[in-house]
Amino acid sequence: MAGRGGRGRGRGHMTFNVEAVGIGKGEALPPPTLQPSPLFPPLDYKAVPLQMGEEVDYMLALKQELRGAMKNLPYFIKPVAPKKDVERYSDKYQMSGPIENAIDWNPDWRQLPRELKIRVRKLRKERATVVIPKRKQQLPADKEETIKKLETLEKKEEEVTSEEEEKEGEEEEGKEEEGEEYDEEEYEEETDYIMSYFDNGEDFGADSDDNMDEAIY
Amino acid sequence: MTQAEIKLCSLLLQEHFGEIVDKIGTHLIQAGSQPLRMITHDTGMSPDQVKKALCVLIQHNLVTYQLQKRGFVEYEAQCDRVLRILRYPRYIYTAKTLYSDTGELIVEELLLNGKMAMSAVVQKVADRLTETMEDGKTMDYSEVSNTFVRLADTHFIQRCPLVPEASGPSDAPPPPAPTLVVNEMEMYMVPKLNLVGKGKRRHSCDDDGNDEPKTKKQKQDTDSKEPQPDDGIYWHVNIDRFHQHFRDQAIVSAVANRMDQTSSEIVRTMLRMSEVTTSSSAPSTQPLSSNEIFRSLPTGYNISKQVLDQYLTLLADDPLEFVGKHGESGGGMFVINLYKALTSLATATLESVVQERFGSRCARIFRLLLQKKHLEQKQVEDFAMIPAKEAKDMLYKMLSENIVSLQEIPKTPDHAPSRTFYLYTVKTLAFARMLLHRCYKSVANLIERRQYETKENKRLLEKSQRVEAILASMQATGAEEAQLQEIEEMITAPERQQLESLKRNVNKIDASENQVDETIFILESYIDSTVKRI
Repeated sequence: MAGRGGRGRGRGHMTFNVEAVGIGKGEALPPPTLQPSPLFPPLDYKAVPLQMGEEVDYMLALKQELRGAMKNLPYFIKPVAPKKDVERYSDKYQMSGPIENAIDWNPDWRQLPRELKIRVRKLRKERATVVIPKRKQQLPADKEETIKKLETLEKKEEEVTSEEEEKEGEEEEGKEEEGEEYDEEEYEEETDYIMSYFDNGEDFGADSDDNMDEAIY
Repeated sequence: MTQAEIKLCSLLLQEHFGEIVDKIGTHLIQAGSQPLRMITHDTGMSPDQVKKALCVLIQHNLVTYQLQKRGFVEYEAQCDRVLRILRYPRYIYTAKTLYSDTGELIVEELLLNGKMAMSAVVQKVADRLTETMEDGKTMDYSEVSNTFVRLADTHFIQRCPLVPEASGPSDAPPPPAPTLVVNEMEMYMVPKLNLVGKGKRRHSCDDDGNDEPKTKKQKQDTDSKEPQPDDGIYWHVNIDRFHQHFRDQAIVSAVANRMDQTSSEIVRTMLRMSEVTTSSSAPSTQPLSSNEIFRSLPTGYNISKQVLDQYLTLLADDPLEFVGKHGESGGGMFVINLYKALTSLATATLESVVQERFGSRCARIFRLLLQKKHLEQKQVEDFAMIPAKEAKDMLYKMLSENIVSLQEIPKTPDHAPSRTFYLYTVKTLAFARMLLHRCYKSVANLIERRQYETKENKRLLEKSQRVEAILASMQATGAEEAQLQEIEEMITAPERQQLESLKRNVNKIDASENQVDETIFILESYIDSTVKRI
């Protein structure tokens, strides 16, 4: 095109009078920018130093203490520890640490939507769904009562001897047991050990088919 | 929600509640109102984890839920409430200045736990205070209760919305989620509790000889007793009241800087008198007569009525217009122009930013534009008394940063550029918003840097913690100087230096975060009050 003959000779012509904006005749414009600005551009003016004083120090200490304290509260949900590489025999007899799905603190359930309440034994129930209906008919009512009594006695015993963590988990489960057939699970494999202690890795990956109430996408 | 805000919320949630809560909270902030199924589906986490995280977020007032007409519950995150986590230390410190250690601990417990019942708070705070007291002394529950009542009376803490009383037939199935009701009248009423007792130490000898850890004992206590009389009544911190207090503090200190101590005291008295009569978003307080102010001055101040009148006239005539004269009755009616005061504070912040980033000459041009509103290029040079070339350069620099903007005024209908006026102007609201966005970004960067520094030196930190633990246990069992020396030498001198510099850097970054938060507060208050006015 005719107008763009000279490469680098003089500036381009604008549609408006550049003098109005303030660029005088023959003045050099800054070079065009061909790359993004540097990540840490050099500062023309150094930043003002931070405020000092007792108040500032106290708030600093408060902030750091708050951070540390919150890490230890039950509200801090730690991600589940990754499973070890190989399934060890001793895993069966070790305590599985904080019960994976229980909440360590007690919210006021009356103020929360019902769907948020976690049923701890839900997973075990999944495996036992096939067995439970038959067993329900088999066990007559009074036998269930005696079993329940034995269970609570057993639990009371364990309260004193087991570690605190475990005890908290037990109580948590004890509270959520109303209306659930928990005794079925103790009886599942007919051992002397409470099944909830063991984590033999079967529930790894079975988490996704939890909660039958949800629509399946 | 801007990207910067979302990023900052995510970092805050991660630091204080862990990654799971962070993921779910951030997702809710980005996606808006969602039911449980969708959250589980979109985040790809297990339903139990989502439920746990939602319980934590609701407990801390960061997420609210609502029962929809179709029968399912939707959850919504409150982004600005999450950003307040940055301000927690300031709230606690303010409570300390106003109500001493007891107040400080009450507010701290409420902030750490989100919502709590009064009896639980009083018990915990009394126990904590007893820990710090000398042997043999304990903190009485009544003292803690009194401070609690005072905090409630001054509206610094308030009741949470309640579950409504079951008015319908009791055999109807309960709804999937309660619809919480806010009872305006009772928001600050403290229930009548008869809390008798004293704080307990962790291993106090006047327990019944039990060596059990305190938590276990408490659990048995709460299990065995009947539910407390204030069952179901929960309290949380009233953040707006604290903000009101910060705003008042800022105004008073501004007056003190501009004039003198006495005038700031007068302004403080006026603000205190208007605390209950003025809502926090009102543009100005109710008119107060000079006689009333004179009566309400703190008893230490012996200024005569005429001196007070002179001060008030001086304040009302000041170009900053913090105080305005409203009428003549009662010796002169005066108001505090809250909106104007906030605007001045925000503008001062903006000016200071321009000065520190671009130099004092740019700041001069900026102030000139604020004063004269619209100026042409030529006029700027003349009024600011800066050579043309430099003025042009500065204006363009500021224009490129969007601090000033161009307003076109055409002389002819065809908008020909040679026949158009180009006026420079400062849009304070837009600039304030931009600066606020930058502040959020800065805090996010600071947090990231701090986490990076800590992660880099993780090994060293763990080692020093182990050494400290060993030292503590050895000192407890009574070891000799030589052995302690040996253990201390496990950390070599360069490592010690590294630890020192790490500590210094982390402290600096934390202090910076606190300071940026102060700026965020001023800007946010200004933007909120401007938006509400429009």
